[in-house]
Amino acid sequence: MPPGRRIAITGISTIWGAALARRLERDPEVEYLAGIDSRPPAIELARTEYIEADLRNPATSRLLPSTRVDTVVHCGILWYPEPGRPPKALHEINVIGTLQLLAACERTETLETVVVRGSAAIYGCEPASPFFFTEDLAGRGPLRTRFQRDISELESYFENFARRHPRLTCCMLRFQPEIGPELDAPLVRYLSLPVVPVQLGYDPRLQLLHAEDATGALEAAVRRPARGAVNVGPDGSISLSRLLRLCGRPALPILAPLFEPLMRRLAGGLGAGGLVGDGVRFLRYGRGVDNRRLRDQVGYEPRYDAVAAVRDLAAERAGRRIGPGLHPGEIAGRVTGVGR
Amino acid sequence: MSSASEEPISPETLVDFLRSVRIGLQDGLDPTAATERAVEALPDRLGEAVETIVNRLRGEYDEDEWGFDEQFAEAVFPLFEFLYDVWWRVETEGARNVPGHGRALLVANHAGSLFPFDAAMATTAIMREHPLPRWPRFMVLDWAFSLPFVSSFMRRAGGVPASSSNAARLLEEEELVMAFPEGAAGTGKPFSERYRLRRFGRGGFAEIALRTGAPIVPVAIVGAEETYPKLAESQTLARAVGAPFVPITPTFPWLGLLGLVPLPSRWRIDFCEPIDLSEHPPDAADDRRLVLDLSERVRETIQAKLYESLVKRRSTFL
Repeated sequence: MPPGRRIAITGISTIWGAALARRLERDPEVEYLAGIDSRPPAIELARTEYIEADLRNPATSRLLPSTRVDTVVHCGILWYPEPGRPPKALHEINVIGTLQLLAACERTETLETVVVRGSAAIYGCEPASPFFFTEDLAGRGPLRTRFQRDISELESYFENFARRHPRLTCCMLRFQPEIGPELDAPLVRYLSLPVVPVQLGYDPRLQLLHAEDATGALEAAVRRPARGAVNVGPDGSISLSRLLRLCGRPALPILAPLFEPLMRRLAGGLGAGGLVGDGVRFLRYGRGVDNRRLRDQVGYEPRYDAVAAVRDLAAERAGRRIGPGLHPGEIAGRVTGVGR
Repeated sequence: MSSASEEPISPETLVDFLRSVRIGLQDGLDPTAATERAVEALPDRLGEAVETIVNRLRGEYDEDEWGFDEQFAEAVFPLFEFLYDVWWRVETEGARNVPGHGRALLVANHAGSLFPFDAAMATTAIMREHPLPRWPRFMVLDWAFSLPFVSSFMRRAGGVPASSSNAARLLEEEELVMAFPEGAAGTGKPFSERYRLRRFGRGGFAEIALRTGAPIVPVAIVGAEETYPKLAESQTLARAVGAPFVPITPTFPWLGLLGLVPLPSRWRIDFCEPIDLSEHPPDAADDRRLVLDLSERVRETIQAKLYESLVKRRSTFL
């Protein structure tokens, strides 16, 4: 890459956009950084210029060319509703936002690279899914949830855009859900419940990406973008039951049809919201992706595999907890002295 | 005491315990005496057993990236051994035809309408009769993976949903993979058509073997057809539960849960000579004719072996 890169990051108010900006700020080869969002950055940034703009607004098309950036990193795709961004607004933010951004990219003549922080939710969660989705297997299964349809729609816009602009390097990153000790996300909050409700008889295989690898892979893709879709997930997989045991969280099995209504109830009170729809299917059937393109084409090697990511989360939880744990594994361990 | 303590120490003490009870029974002791003897051997291993159980509760055990849990497989193995030795008196031939290491694709006929136990018995045969035992991974009908309990059981025991991407990846990881190309058409055939092989899908298994260069080992399994003889099927019930078919057998659903007990037929498992495909380049998998020829060749090998085996078996149940 030539020195003096000019990069615009959308969704700078998200932790991912802000974390990426912070890393790129340290790089002297990055000449200019812009953070575009309707809300200010999630963390304080040193030299990123915050541009207040709503991507859904056609004004973006005038704004982006004036920054004369060579790279656009789209981090404005939201997985979960947030305060002030209800579920119904997500479709607008994700699909219309991407559409307007691509329109703005068309007008930015200096542009060379577009990287989108998308989601592996496009593959869905089916009982008979391949255990490791490769990038070419998207769109084989039915589109079942709102978020999955949105991701699939915006990916098709993005594909068209890439086809129309063969000169540009267009990279779609498909992220598995992230966890991490410092991460405050619905899935992490769910895993941190004192007793974790699970669906009776189902024990999904999960791949949860460590937050550090999530930022690392995003940064790597900005530095060395690959054309087309790239899965971003850890090596290996872990079952939900083993995950909860490692975290020392007792599981509460609930009849599968009652799980979704329960999660809806929990959504407000316990802060484990946003796990309805996609989350329920994810926690029933799980999902695994093949990350060979990430390793070979982007050149990023995840630091944490699926088990290590959970262990890191568990270690932090164990350090912070007050009083004895109630998990049968811990009690048995204390009594017998195994694992000391 | 002697034979139990001479047993090699395995990490799964529960398995050892059940095994030593079984050995006691085989030595001609009555059940109480056999259990007593196994209990006597227990204190040496009790510490180990407690450690294993506690570690399981703490999540300190291994699962591979496919969700296969070897400790779990070992824990259910005594049940399979019982079915193998006592219930179905399985006779296995040619276990040495299964490569001891590296990728290989086992292709078998599929039968046993209600619960096809053929994968479990072939696994037991390899674990018991092969000089270098290893756990095969088996391709399971998609539908089973949508069921509670069944899905997690299958996964832990080494099953994966039948798909070419799963099979190819497992073979690339040098695993032993077991496929049943007949699929639900094989398990769902009526009793009157037993041991008559159905179409081998579209030859997908041959394509994968060619692409990955894995040798194919045809496996002929006799006995599974008689475990749950399918006399008729209920389409209404199948639609209601979303199953490919719901069989009516002489005992199911008439006897309720008791109808789930498989009939004690006599089994034979024959592992045939492996078919080496290393001479073909990977893109030979795109040659439809080669794929279909290979698929047909495997099918004929299994069919011929089945007829041979049926004659050798002489009696179905005794």
